[in-house]
Amino acid sequence: MNPSTGPAAPAPIIVAERLVKTYGTGAAAVHALDHATLSIAAGRFTAVMGPSGSGKSTMMHVMAGLDSVDSGTVRLGGVELTELSERERTVLRRRKVGFVFQSFNLVPSLTAAENIELPLRLAGKRADSAWVDELVTTLGIQERLSHRPNELSGGQQQRVAVARALASRPEVVFADEPTGALDSRAGRALLAFLQRASREFGQTIVMVTHDPVAAGFADRVEFLADGQVVDGFDHPTAQAVLDRMARFDAVAEEVAA
Amino acid sequence: MIRFTLAQLIAHRVRLALTVIAVILGVAFVTGSLVLNDTAQRLFDEQFRTASAGADLTVRTATAFDSGMGVEVERDPLPAHVVEQVAAIDGVDAAIAVAKGSVRLEDREVDLGAAQLTSWIPQPVGAFPLRDGTAPVEAGEVALDVASAGTLGLRIGDRLTLVADQRIEVRIVGLVGFGDAEGPPVGTAVIASLGTAQEALGLGAAVSELMITTDLAVNELQPVLGEVLGASYQVATAQDLATAGAEAAASNLEMLQIVLVAMSVAALLMGSFLIGNTFAIVVSQRTRELAMVRATGATGAQILRSVLGEALVVGMAASGIGTMVGIGGAIGLRALARGAGVTIPDGDLVVEPRTVLVAVCVGVIVTLAAAIGPARRAAAISPVAAMRQSAAEARLVSRARTTVGAALLTVGAVLAAMPSFGADMPMLAVGLGIALAGVILIAPVVIRPMVRAIGAPLSRMGVAVRLAQESAERAPRRTSATVMALALGLALMSFAAIVGASVKTATGEQYREVIQADVVVESAGQEMLGGVHAAVFDEVLGVDEVGAATRLKYGHWRDAGMMSALSAVDPDAIEEVAVIRMIDGEIADLATPGGVVIAQRVAEERDLGVGDELTMTFARTGEKALPVVGVVADTTARALQTDFLVSLDTYAQHFTEDMDASVFVVGAAGVSADRLAAALERELVDHPTVQVRDQAAVIAGRTQIIDQLFGLVTVLLAFALLIAVLGIANTLALSIVERTREIGLLRALGMSRAHVGAMVQSEAVFVAATAVVIGTVLGAAAAFAAVGALGTIAPLPLVVPLDQLAWLGAAVAFAGLLAAFAPARRAAALPALEAISHD
Ligand SMILES: Nc1ncnc2c1ncn2[C@@H]1O[C@H](COP(=O)(O)OP(=O)(O)O)[C@@H](O)[C@H]1O
Ligand SMILES: [Mg+2]
Repeated sequence: MNPSTGPAAPAPIIVAERLVKTYGTGAAAVHALDHATLSIAAGRFTAVMGPSGSGKSTMMHVMAGLDSVDSGTVRLGGVELTELSERERTVLRRRKVGFVFQSFNLVPSLTAAENIELPLRLAGKRADSAWVDELVTTLGIQERLSHRPNELSGGQQQRVAVARALASRPEVVFADEPTGALDSRAGRALLAFLQRASREFGQTIVMVTHDPVAAGFADRVEFLADGQVVDGFDHPTAQAVLDRMARFDAVAEEVAA
Repeated sequence: MIRFTLAQLIAHRVRLALTVIAVILGVAFVTGSLVLNDTAQRLFDEQFRTASAGADLTVRTATAFDSGMGVEVERDPLPAHVVEQVAAIDGVDAAIAVAKGSVRLEDREVDLGAAQLTSWIPQPVGAFPLRDGTAPVEAGEVALDVASAGTLGLRIGDRLTLVADQRIEVRIVGLVGFGDAEGPPVGTAVIASLGTAQEALGLGAAVSELMITTDLAVNELQPVLGEVLGASYQVATAQDLATAGAEAAASNLEMLQIVLVAMSVAALLMGSFLIGNTFAIVVSQRTRELAMVRATGATGAQILRSVLGEALVVGMAASGIGTMVGIGGAIGLRALARGAGVTIPDGDLVVEPRTVLVAVCVGVIVTLAAAIGPARRAAAISPVAAMRQSAAEARLVSRARTTVGAALLTVGAVLAAMPSFGADMPMLAVGLGIALAGVILIAPVVIRPMVRAIGAPLSRMGVAVRLAQESAERAPRRTSATVMALALGLALMSFAAIVGASVKTATGEQYREVIQADVVVESAGQEMLGGVHAAVFDEVLGVDEVGAATRLKYGHWRDAGMMSALSAVDPDAIEEVAVIRMIDGEIADLATPGGVVIAQRVAEERDLGVGDELTMTFARTGEKALPVVGVVADTTARALQTDFLVSLDTYAQHFTEDMDASVFVVGAAGVSADRLAAALERELVDHPTVQVRDQAAVIAGRTQIIDQLFGLVTVLLAFALLIAVLGIANTLALSIVERTREIGLLRALGMSRAHVGAMVQSEAVFVAATAVVIGTVLGAAAAFAAVGALGTIAPLPLVVPLDQLAWLGAAVAFAGLLAAFAPARRAAALPALEAISHD
């Protein structure tokens, strides 16, 4: 199995090499990451695919500085994450990284607007209001800014989360199954926006998903299986992804389910 | 369902720990109070039973009542002829003369304190069996009780001086016990021969009482003796004496009992907030689980029973522990009360079955009552709640609750204010109780804007503070319960501080306004009726530096069934040392034999004026109608300590007490107060029991009881506040568990650990600050009403001890900050990933 970096890739912003992360010991040991190597191109929209339990989330957490590894190296924008302390990683996250999770993205007690500004305020910075306005308008949530999360639909909540992730113009936005809790229409609208953000603003986006349709919005797709990056190609379409997945038996089962 | 209940208990044992502690504290207070009371009662009973057990009957001079305000009345001695008269009566086996009274012990000029002197009565009639040495039968010999000899470091052969009417040099020849014990439960017993005791006490040939033994039945001989001796003498059975004595002693404990009951109620109320909170949080965290149980077929009633079952088990276990803690705590409580100046006997603790029953019932009922709200909410959880994500408490507080709360607060406040305008005192307590209930109901509504107001200036400090404020606002009921537990304790302390300061200030001011004396000679002890030997006054008059001096005496009398007190003054001399402001009549009119001057308050209350008569019952002379010869200003009356003034001559007709309460002294022209005091101290050096006090020292002496009570209340409340502060820690810890995902998200978004810790700390500060504001306001409002009400009895300006309140508030706020320490660390340590990667 050859780790693939794809042809004609622009300069990588993230380079992860031979990452190992093991939970438990002995017979009960689970190799969440088993010498996984991957690089993410700057300014592009990358989808990370794989069956459930293949290590997608772990990979993302490590690349985002949320989690540590047993061995291997990760460089994000020239910074070696594995050498940073927990504190330094926290600072790095709020400076360079944006997140969109599958659910529970927003602090329930804050309004949508406050949630969007949260990372900036944590960093002690002022929001670039023109940019935030543009984001909010593009995402169609300008009417909902004074509402609290429990007054928003799932799709609206996710769009607020995307606005928040992009508000500070981070070097990388990580999204873990961002459409997992949405219906297909709301999901497609969100994916279209992520695609636009990457194409129009040059935003680097890494999205974890197991949905071939979602992966079809990305510029590139990488495949994980059993904690290793096993394949990857540029300009995926849903059909191409499906075809590629059909080669992995386990993956085929997952898609059918 | 029982299995489910038990499983829940085990799963939530840590969370329920605070509930247990809160119940333990409340129950321990209740138990401690009951045990202390029963023990004191039993010991007093035993003491007086032992003292009179040997005699079948006792003869004393008759009095109209036996004791007043915890002091047994002074009786006239029995003339010597009565002794012979009684001994001659048929059926009287032995008539033993007894001389007794209080003395002071001195060991080579060193004051060893007060002792009860009793003449030697051989066994089996006497209560003091000889334990060591010989019986004190010769003049100049005494025996001491074993216990006191031990504490005073005295041995057989040591020399002592008895100071009373006379100074008598004596030698210890023996040691005695008291019944089976090593000594009486309170004080020191000194035994001397009858002659020595009579001499020391200045009785001459007279005796204090006669102890009689008989072979006849007691109820046969009692009427015979009564008939022979007539109405001036009382023939009492051992039982009568024991009861009367114990009652007098126990009435000293009334104040302590009131304080302890108030503290028990406060501790239980504060505890109930925390109990309710814990159950509410446990239930809210279990919403999904309970919904699932409901979905699988459990009825709402079953859920209700399950939660209440949990409360029952917690309540019983905690009450059991609390009862034991209370029994142990009674020892500490006794030491504390003694420190506050309450006379409590030492001895084995008495634990009645009733005590255990009451304590456990109270604990269980409070726990169940506090859990009933959360239990009903749990029962109301719908099966579909399992599908919903958030289990957070509704932000809204029901309108009905707010309306009822506001209504109660208004009604309570009006009722509490009424005594200030002349209504009865109990209305104050009723009003404050109702108002408190109202405050508890509306607290959740009030707390949001308060947290917001306190948070507004702080939230500029950063997003962590803002989030903390949001968190405090998010669950208004929970926050308000935490706040109220703390606020209530603080309110009681502020109340005590303000009322105490007001009374102290008023006492001092009235005193300064009225009493012009440069120095006052008073007893070093705080005897009820004063303890300055009559000879002191004569010695004071002989000092060159003295310009004028006059004496003040106190006496008890019965005022239509209620014990009351009067002050006796010299009408010719009092105006040399005090500014007497008369409303009507002249103080000099007191010289009219038998007249009384009453305070303006009494005159108005009873519609009495000069020319009317006041019926007073004296212990010795019975019911007398005294002409009212004047009405004096209330401030003057207060400064002289009572609302009724008589002349020293009138006093002498009704009382035998020859101790003075105070001797007021004014210096001769050109003599400074300091020089006067020094001269008096030199003169009175052989009266170790009296002190020469300046104005400040007298005021301090008079207000000492307030300081002592405040100290007692503060120490007891400190325990309750400790629990309330633990309540903050508990609420925070639970809210952190509830917000695990949120904290995880914040961490992922770049909030540092220090930030998360600061967020939790800030929330504690919000809670504590809100509690400080509410507690201080409530305490001040209640104190305002109380001072207003007390002001109708005697002028009482409101004094707010700002520094004391500030200290209290700061201490509570600081405690809140400390309480948040552990939860803040726990929150900061929460791994970001755990929160976001798990559902
Ligand atoms: N905290 C953890 N403790 C133990 N095992 C874990 C933990 N997190 C993840 N794993 C295991 O590591 C593997 C990879 O998990 P994950 O990265 O979440 O996969 P994916 O996101 O692709 O579904 C799985 O087998 C999972 O059970
Ligand atoms: Mg995953």
